[in-house]
Formats: sequence, C-alpha cells, structure tokens
Amino acid sequence: MPTSWNDTLQIDRYLANKMKPGDALIFEAWLLLQPELADKLQWQQKTYTLIQGYGRRQLKQEIDAVHRQLFTEPKHQRFSHKIKALFNL
Amino acid sequence: MIIATAVTHIYKQYGMSNLNHSVAQRQELFIALYKTAFPSVAKYVSRLGGSADEAKDVFQDALVIYYEKMVAKLLPEKDIAYLVGISKNLWLQRYRETNKQTPLDNFDISITVEETPADKRLLRLLTTAGKKCMDLLKSFYYDKLPVTELADNFGYSGSRSVTVQKHKCLEKVRETVKQKSLTYADFME
Repeated sequence: MPTSWNDTLQIDRYLANKMKPGDALIFEAWLLLQPELADKLQWQQKTYTLIQGYGRRQLKQEIDAVHRQLFTEPKHQRFSHKIKALFNL
Repeated sequence: MIIATAVTHIYKQYGMSNLNHSVAQRQELFIALYKTAFPSVAKYVSRLGGSADEAKDVFQDALVIYYEKMVAKLLPEKDIAYLVGISKNLWLQRYRETNKQTPLDNFDISITVEETPADKRLLRLLTTAGKKCMDLLKSFYYDKLPVTELADNFGYSGSRSVTVQKHKCLEKVRETVKQKSLTYADFME
C-alpha cells in the first residue's frame, strides 16, 4: 500500500462511493490483501452506523421538544386547539 | 399564507450560501413544518379513527425522514405534500391492520435502526466520554454541515483545522468502537 495512502480517508471515500471505479477496484484488492485494512473498514462502518443512530436520536429529541412547545405555549394555542378538536380532546 | 412565507424564509436560510443547521434553526424549521403539514395529517388520522398519539408518532418519524432527505439534497424545496404523504403511509402501515397490503408508492419509510443492548451501551459511552467528537462527527455525517460552518460551530480557526480534527475524531471513535465491541462481545459469551 502506498505510504501516502491514508487508510481512514480512503475507507471514508470508499464507503461514501466517492472513489472512481478504477480506484475502488484497487482499494478492494487491498482489502483482500491486507486484513488490517478490512478490519478498519468493518469498524469504521460500524462507527458510521452509530453516528447515524446518535444523529437520529438527537433529532427526535429536538422534534419532540417542538411538539411540547406547540402544545403547551399560549402563543401556539390556536394551533393546538385546532388539532385537539379533531380528536375531540 | 404566513406559514408558507415562514417556510420559504427558513429554506432560504438553508440555501447554498448559508447552510446553518444549528439547533435553533432546526427548531424554527420544525415549527413551520408542524404548522403547515400536521393539521392535514391529524385530520386524515382522525377521519380514519386513529388517535392523537398515533398522528404524533407517524408525523415525528416522517419529519426525521424529511430532514434526512432534505440535508442530502434529495427533496425539492417545501415539499409539504411529500411530508404529508409519508405520514399517511406510515399510519396505514402501522395502525391499519386491513391495509397491510397497501403498496407504499415510492416512499422509503425505513426509519427504525436496530440497536442491540451492546450498541446502546457503546453509544452511551461515546457520548459521555467523547461528546465533542461525537457532536462534530454527527454534524458532518448526519446533518451534513459544510466544514466552514463546522469550524464556526465548534470554534476552530478554519476548514483545515476542522478537517484534521474530524479525521482524528473518526479514528479515535473507530478505535473505541472496536475495543469496546470486542470487550462487550467477550462479556456476552
């Protein structure tokens, strides 16, 4: 593997489909030849999944806070009444 | 009409020149989307005999899908019809037994991420021990903020230093994920 090659960055580009097809093929060959690289790829992929999960969790909390705000603050009363009326609440 | 204007205003803020996804701006966006789209969703759910909680549940998940498509630039501006459409489909799929076979058109409604107890534990560790790194990585990979803005939000001198830091964080988190996953796996056996 070329010394200038940064594993983390290359894995990042490969997983994001940002490599040219030729480069991706070469990268896949390296994955077969170098178990450490394949190992790093596996954990980096898992890291992205966890970041995605973290992002969604944070976003859901933000959305839920907006919901509470809309249904409790007096300035949004017209809106909340309109919704509640639909469900006879 | 006022709400439509608010949505336009927010989309302008999300435009190419000034992509700012700070918490406050997301909040403003979600309030506008709630006011524009939620009444239609609630009306639909109530007409079909669903509850207020069900309407809330599907609408909030639809907002997550909408947001992810928006930051990935896969949505035309102000696609309220899309947001309402996903909500309705989610409700039919989840709460209407008889409609289990309803084709879901082109809506991609995969929202649930399966998290194992070990994953939850790992995420808890990562967000307590290295919150700044996780927040930086989340802003880049999930919220898809441009690096110039990450530099502003996280107090780095410029794009170069924030890129270096992001890289370090990714390597650090990847190593933690590896070590802890292996430890937890041992523990489970």
